[in-house]
Amino acid sequence: MLIFIGLLFVVALMMMTFYNKLRTLQVHIKASIQEIGNQLKRQADLIPNLVDSVKGYMKHEKGIFEDLTAARKTIETAAASNNPKLLDESQKSVNKVLSSLKVIVESNPELQTSGLVNNLMDELRDTADKLMYSRRTLIDLSADYNSNIVTIPGVWIANLFGFKEEKGLSIPQDASVTQVTSDNLKNPKVQL
Amino acid sequence: MVNIYEQIKNNKIRSTFIISLFSIFIILVAYFITQSYNLDGTFLIFAFFISIISSLGSYFYGDKMVLALNQAQLANKNNYPLLYQVVENISIVNQTPMPKIYFIDTYAPNAFATGRDPKHAVICVTSGLLSKLNRSELEAVIAHELSHIKNYDIRLMTIVSILIGSLSILINMAYRSSFFRKSNNREDNQANTIITIIGFIMIIFAPIIAQLIQLAISRRREYFADASAVKLTRQPQALIDALTKISQDDSVFETASTATASLYITNPFKGNKIASLFSTHPPIEDRIKALQQML
Repeated sequence: MLIFIGLLFVVALMMMTFYNKLRTLQVHIKASIQEIGNQLKRQADLIPNLVDSVKGYMKHEKGIFEDLTAARKTIETAAASNNPKLLDESQKSVNKVLSSLKVIVESNPELQTSGLVNNLMDELRDTADKLMYSRRTLIDLSADYNSNIVTIPGVWIANLFGFKEEKGLSIPQDASVTQVTSDNLKNPKVQL
Repeated sequence: MVNIYEQIKNNKIRSTFIISLFSIFIILVAYFITQSYNLDGTFLIFAFFISIISSLGSYFYGDKMVLALNQAQLANKNNYPLLYQVVENISIVNQTPMPKIYFIDTYAPNAFATGRDPKHAVICVTSGLLSKLNRSELEAVIAHELSHIKNYDIRLMTIVSILIGSLSILINMAYRSSFFRKSNNREDNQANTIITIIGFIMIIFAPIIAQLIQLAISRRREYFADASAVKLTRQPQALIDALTKISQDDSVFETASTATASLYITNPFKGNKIASLFSTHPPIEDRIKALQQML
């Protein structure tokens, strides 16, 4: 009789442990999505500084200011929504601004020797790194959670309490990402 | 080819195995000594207690002591922006709070981590490391050190050394108490002689065997930290390059101490051709081979 109660106790303890583990992972996954939004905001806040530093050379590039305002708005809404897909798409609006800036810096050699621009370019590289690392955190946490709900004994707890798979970072599932095209296999040509 | 998840699982299994081996060994030896020398349980508790007290200082203040020993100075965002950025980024993906960053002014490239848990973590790099490694290699080294912190390796090695300390104290007490043993019955004499002989052998060899297991644990945790670093950065080549650069460097680390040697990324006592069984770190070639499996 005592052995039976002891066994029951152990099973209950295990269930509790696994339930708590799954719940904690869910919370951490939500936090990591917020972190991505956090890093995007940081990047968006940094770009006006870069725009300022090249203002004198941008007599013809009026469009960049509108692009910048639009990008910052997109990021604000994406960060507030905590939706990884929206966050990924808002990145596209930032990339648009960054590529316009890149064109300005490349077509103005005096800018490249300016310490301020180099410093801000370094900072932008760092923001891209931070975004990559926050995304990787989301990937790792989702992988951890998803593997826990399909392996024994987590799978029993998951079915009992209705834990669903977490999507993690959504990469577009069209053919281009997971396939190597014949173009990729050709040697790159360098034109100097 | 071994993927990163497999590599980490392998390391966890082997790590658990060797720590269990160590625990069983300590328990067996302690049991045998108390039995054969007729000591009762209070000696065990006493030995354990003394060992804990003598380790309390290093557990709570170990980080400050190590930094003072090496004349380390605090690094901040303004004077070491690259280092600060790298530590910040790796802390994000490691999911640990940002540690305090220190640097030591020496040409020898090395880095170490200390601190009993991620909240009280300290990381230290030498100026030689900063000047010789590029950004990716620095990220790999910092990822290795932060993995030590996340895997609680510092706490593990402290507990292991407490247990070894207890064993040494217990053996010491047993040896001293053997002079005051009551005389035994004649019938048990032969068995007693055998036990006494085994007891002597144990007194001599148990500490050495325990030390060897401790060093094996340390080496296994180094492999584990390497694998965890690659899990964070997904760039095995960067860590391979960093290890190669550090090991090929001839500079001597003047202020390195044996007490903290296990916390460095590579063994700072390069001059000594110690047998690999007695080394706290695996040979660089083996570490690189393990990393190349993940390329």
